[in-house]
Amino acid sequence: MTLLRVSDLSRTFQTANGPVHAVRNVSFDVQRGECLAVVGESGSGKTTLANMILGILTSSSGDIAFKGTPLPAKRTPAQRRAIQFVQQNPLSSLNPKRSVGASVRLGLDTYGIGDRADRTRRVEAALESVGLPGDMRRRAPAALSGGQRQRVGIARALVCEPELLVLDEPTSALDVLVQARVLRLLNDLRRDRGLTYIFITHDLAVVRNVADRVAVFRAGELVEIGSTEAIFSSPDHAYTRRLIGAMPVVDDTELDLRNRLAEGT
Amino acid sequence: MTALLDIRDLRLGFRTLAGQIDVLHGIDLAIRAGEQVALVGESGSGKSVTARIILGLLQETRSARVSGRVGFDGRDVMMMSPKERAALRGIEMSMIFQDPTSSLNPTFTIERQFAEVMRRPDRKLTRAACRERAARMLDEVSIPDTGRVLDAYPFQLSGGMNQRVMIAMALANNPKLLLADEPGTALDVSVQAQTLDLMRDLVTRHGTSVLFISHNMGVVREFADRIYVIYRGRIVEEGPTPAVFADPGHAYTRALLKAVPRITGRGLPDVPEVSDDFFDPMVRHGGTS
Repeated sequence: MTLLRVSDLSRTFQTANGPVHAVRNVSFDVQRGECLAVVGESGSGKTTLANMILGILTSSSGDIAFKGTPLPAKRTPAQRRAIQFVQQNPLSSLNPKRSVGASVRLGLDTYGIGDRADRTRRVEAALESVGLPGDMRRRAPAALSGGQRQRVGIARALVCEPELLVLDEPTSALDVLVQARVLRLLNDLRRDRGLTYIFITHDLAVVRNVADRVAVFRAGELVEIGSTEAIFSSPDHAYTRRLIGAMPVVDDTELDLRNRLAEGT
Repeated sequence: MTALLDIRDLRLGFRTLAGQIDVLHGIDLAIRAGEQVALVGESGSGKSVTARIILGLLQETRSARVSGRVGFDGRDVMMMSPKERAALRGIEMSMIFQDPTSSLNPTFTIERQFAEVMRRPDRKLTRAACRERAARMLDEVSIPDTGRVLDAYPFQLSGGMNQRVMIAMALANNPKLLLADEPGTALDVSVQAQTLDLMRDLVTRHGTSVLFISHNMGVVREFADRIYVIYRGRIVEEGPTPAVFADPGHAYTRALLKAVPRITGRGLPDVPEVSDDFFDPMVRHGGTS
């Protein structure tokens, strides 16, 4: 079942040097329960696309349909609640003056979910679902490690009981041992709750291990989309091959695969 | 075998209101002339402070307590006066930082910033001589149209271009030691790969020794001849790059390698964030001096 359909979506920014086409005529579907990776380098339009899906930014043309209904420029609370965001930098995305609990609660307050006591319960449950103790809600973000903060960022999104999560480089600011655990957590959450992910990243090795399908963006255009299996066995587009070819790898099997894919043989 | 950089039993602590916090617990690290060595570890492991001590910067921070020996080219940086240390920086040793655009001064042209660097050892260098040498350096890092770049401000150039400028600038006085702290991490992977190749070529040609600081095992594997793995202020493993990757001896190194996602797709490994055996004694691979 198609959860999200993006049709002929474009976004142009007017700048002093003329128009910049950040996203150009992009169309793709996201199936319920899948993890679609969006990859590309800086300036490829990944973040503009994410902002349009989240409703933070309006499109210049084209539309986005969620469960068959086109999303209007001004979304209903229910529509906003259904699509939540996990940001890249867990340090700058949490308000340092707010307790962890207050940050996580924000969605509940905004969308008017539950009463006072119920909200506290939901906050604790959300923290526990990401592997943090419920009483961490009383702490300040500054007292938390990077991995814990990113878990809070995930809890903050989950507390609204969304159907679709847009994750913008959720692990690229984390140490590798912490990253491994957060990625596992995200996989488990998706499986257990039937969530759908749009996973934005530049790290193709992460993509290989978490995504069902991959969409490759370059300069605002979708240049290739396909199953992870297909992209990592025979990438069609020269740009995809170039991206794979630039990946640092740690073992010889990987090195062979990378070089084979990069050469397109 | 005499080493260019020879660090012995380096210790660092910070005095705080709550007492002393120890950051480095006795580090030994050596780099021979022309050798490219990586110091790999996670955030908070002590990699960047080690570089700041080598540069003689942390010694001037009041709350820092540094002890041990930092031998550099036959002298001990720890015994030098602040003035003597300052005389080494940018001349005998130089540094490349993670984010090139924010480490260049946005209010001066590239040419002016080059001149500032090149006039450190030779104050009388003329403007024309500076410009000529800067152009030659930019040429070495494969920058086309060097004239345009020299007249530009950093914000007019791309991140990848600024990174090359940084590399050229760091090598302008032909230093014996280059400290590279996560170079290119702020850049796109394809640009990062290119700049690392360039840097590798250049230091090989100039015979520059490099201390390459990184958290990225893949990048380190491509760049370094030899590796030190650092965990919470202790070196846990040392050896030639191929040996460490083929046969990681320390539990922490093994966990680190296992945790890296592979493009061959072996799923997400179950690794602990911390474990008691991460504090096991150091593992040294043979065949090094």
